[in-house]
Amino acid sequence: MPGRSSTPALSVAAGGGGLRLRQPFRRLFIRGAGGASAESGLKRAHFREWRLPVWLLAPQLFILLLFFFIPSARALIQAFQLTDPFGATVKWVGFQNFERLFSSSVYWSSARVTVIFTLAQNVLTLSFALLFAFASNHILRGRGAYRTVLLLPYAIAPAIAGIMLAFLFNPRVGPVAHMLQGLGLDWDPNRNSWHALALVVMAASWKHICYNYIFLVAALLAVPQSILEAANIDGAGPIQRFLRISMPMIAPTLFFLIVINFVYGLFETFAIIDATTRGGPAGATSILVYKVYQDGFVTLDLGSSAAQSVVLMALALLLTFAQFRFVERRVNYNV
Amino acid sequence: MRPIYRALGIAAGLLLAGLGSAQAATEIEFWHAMSGALGERVEELVKKFNESQKDFVVKPVAKGNYDEVLNATIAAYRAKRQPEIVQSNERSFLTMVNSGAIVPTSELMAQQGHPIDVSKFIAPVVSYYAMDGKLQAMPFNSSTPILFYNRDHFKAAGFDKPGATWQELEPQLDAIKAKGVSKCAMVLPGDYEWSFLENYSAVNDIPYATKRNGMDGLDTTFVFNKGKLVGQVERMKRLVSSGVMQIAGQGIIPTQLFTSGECSSIIASTAAHAAVVAAAKFDWSAAELPYEQGVTPKNSVIGGAALWTLKGHTPEKYKAVAAFYDFLAKTDTQVWWHQATGYVPVTTAAYEAAKAQGYYQKNPTREIAVLQLMRGTPSDNSLGFRIGNSNQINVAIMEEVSAAFLGKKPVQQALDDAATRGNESLRRYEQLNAGKK
Repeated sequence: MPGRSSTPALSVAAGGGGLRLRQPFRRLFIRGAGGASAESGLKRAHFREWRLPVWLLAPQLFILLLFFFIPSARALIQAFQLTDPFGATVKWVGFQNFERLFSSSVYWSSARVTVIFTLAQNVLTLSFALLFAFASNHILRGRGAYRTVLLLPYAIAPAIAGIMLAFLFNPRVGPVAHMLQGLGLDWDPNRNSWHALALVVMAASWKHICYNYIFLVAALLAVPQSILEAANIDGAGPIQRFLRISMPMIAPTLFFLIVINFVYGLFETFAIIDATTRGGPAGATSILVYKVYQDGFVTLDLGSSAAQSVVLMALALLLTFAQFRFVERRVNYNV
Repeated sequence: MRPIYRALGIAAGLLLAGLGSAQAATEIEFWHAMSGALGERVEELVKKFNESQKDFVVKPVAKGNYDEVLNATIAAYRAKRQPEIVQSNERSFLTMVNSGAIVPTSELMAQQGHPIDVSKFIAPVVSYYAMDGKLQAMPFNSSTPILFYNRDHFKAAGFDKPGATWQELEPQLDAIKAKGVSKCAMVLPGDYEWSFLENYSAVNDIPYATKRNGMDGLDTTFVFNKGKLVGQVERMKRLVSSGVMQIAGQGIIPTQLFTSGECSSIIASTAAHAAVVAAAKFDWSAAELPYEQGVTPKNSVIGGAALWTLKGHTPEKYKAVAAFYDFLAKTDTQVWWHQATGYVPVTTAAYEAAKAQGYYQKNPTREIAVLQLMRGTPSDNSLGFRIGNSNQINVAIMEEVSAAFLGKKPVQQALDDAATRGNESLRRYEQLNAGKK
């Protein structure tokens, strides 16, 4: 159910504490019948009259209209057209753009790259973030300093991060590349598609680990100390406590992060790819969203680019639905 | 009145007078794609024009690289906020001509009383930017690829200079690597589809696409997968896989690998002169593009860009545009631009003038590009390229060729795929622009 998606995110964002409304605001709501806990009461609350909520929603809806609905509608129209970039000539071509897309081996290879990239990025990001969150929770001295350092990459613009990594791993001049070559690895992302893919996965994860880390640290702090202490007394070691108690208890956060990481990998890594490899070599790192950009803005193939964004949009809806339908069932929020 | 007030009054008066005269001058915008040293040269050039007369003011605006300038222009045109002049690269020719957004340069200049004599321009420039003998855009920065080389490295390997043919040059490059003179005998340029493929076809007089490479109509098809170009890509692949030719990759510009002394040679635009002169700390020189043994080499083709005039402005603005173009075509301007940037002079008169100054005696490498462009009579294969959807096709060709470098597919297969993908794009362009040239 998409409607429920905001609840775990919201409570996670607030450090698991839930939202507390201040007294004056409460008067605006009618309490639903039998609201036992604060959370279920909040869910059932609604506004007494319609004007205020409309006003509260208006700015967001206006932004959505401007930056989502209008562009989406235009993309949908353009997907069925062949257009001159200047708009001088426009021809309706039915499903030609889609047929072309699905019969193109380049597009399918881009889809394959996207799957590998997104999965690898998700696994790498989450496991490193978990490791760091676990470790920094167990360090007493200078915990703040470690946390600050771990959060720093988040402040770096994706383009800068991409260029930096491209340079560090450049087989001719990059110090890290020289180190790898010294270890006997024939590192060359310009001539080896797997190396290039590994590079963009690394770049994308490096940038996103800190985001995951913040959430995991907050979630780990919310794990009741009493349970951990009880387990400690029963003889469970730190790793066992982490795997058996903390992990299940932070499952909602993990689930939220998996969804976010998928969305990030699928739709927000464009700048990093552009700066690190430009989708190359030979399309080895050209993920779907990068291809939309390249076909739309570099090669000016507007019809194909629009068709691709329509496909991506459908994919995003499908993916979110599937995740909430199948994965969320295994997550227990009532801990 | 106290002196201070009087001074202020005079200052205000001067300011108003200044504003008055600024308003009298017609201001036009010029969006360009030149960055770094070349960007500064453009600023200088425009300043020269603005100071040469009082009626017009050109405002240069750097809008990123060629793709970005084109994108910005498209967005601005659709929003009806287009500039008067925009610089667009040579391969966007058909996109611009068929955009319905431009005023052909010949027409504009005739209307404004500065008729253009096409015969004054050098042949490869005219054949690229003219249709039916009429210039569609104002030739601006024209270049052609030449071979820059590190003379110290070539000497250390026992060679005076690079061989004129690929058959002579290849063993030299191998030797430079084998003898350990440098780990990188040549670096692959980022625009190799232009310097290694298109120009190779022109120089060696082999067809790249039918209908004189598209000059005779939109129903052209690619045939580059059926001739000597396959051998050229095989050669490039061999050089890349043996490590003789290196790929710079992201994070570094290929020219930098040459100027830093890491790579011994590069085939690059003659406009790279600016960067090489500024950064190379070794004995360097340049030579004409290598060609196949037994071939009488034809002229190479131009790259670079031209200035396009956009529709939708007032007659006064077009007067300013025409005055600016007239200034650009002047021999003095051309000579200065040629010497300051490394681009070739686009008129024969400017070349003669630079020669008469003795410029080429002092700077022999500056003449190579001009001589190479004017070599012989252009054949059907060396007139230039008129390819629709050229950006798409470019990306497709480079993707396939680099797939061959990576060993993902054999060279012949890669070029066949490139031709198939290219032809699909050509047919789509024909479908959209049916009835146009």
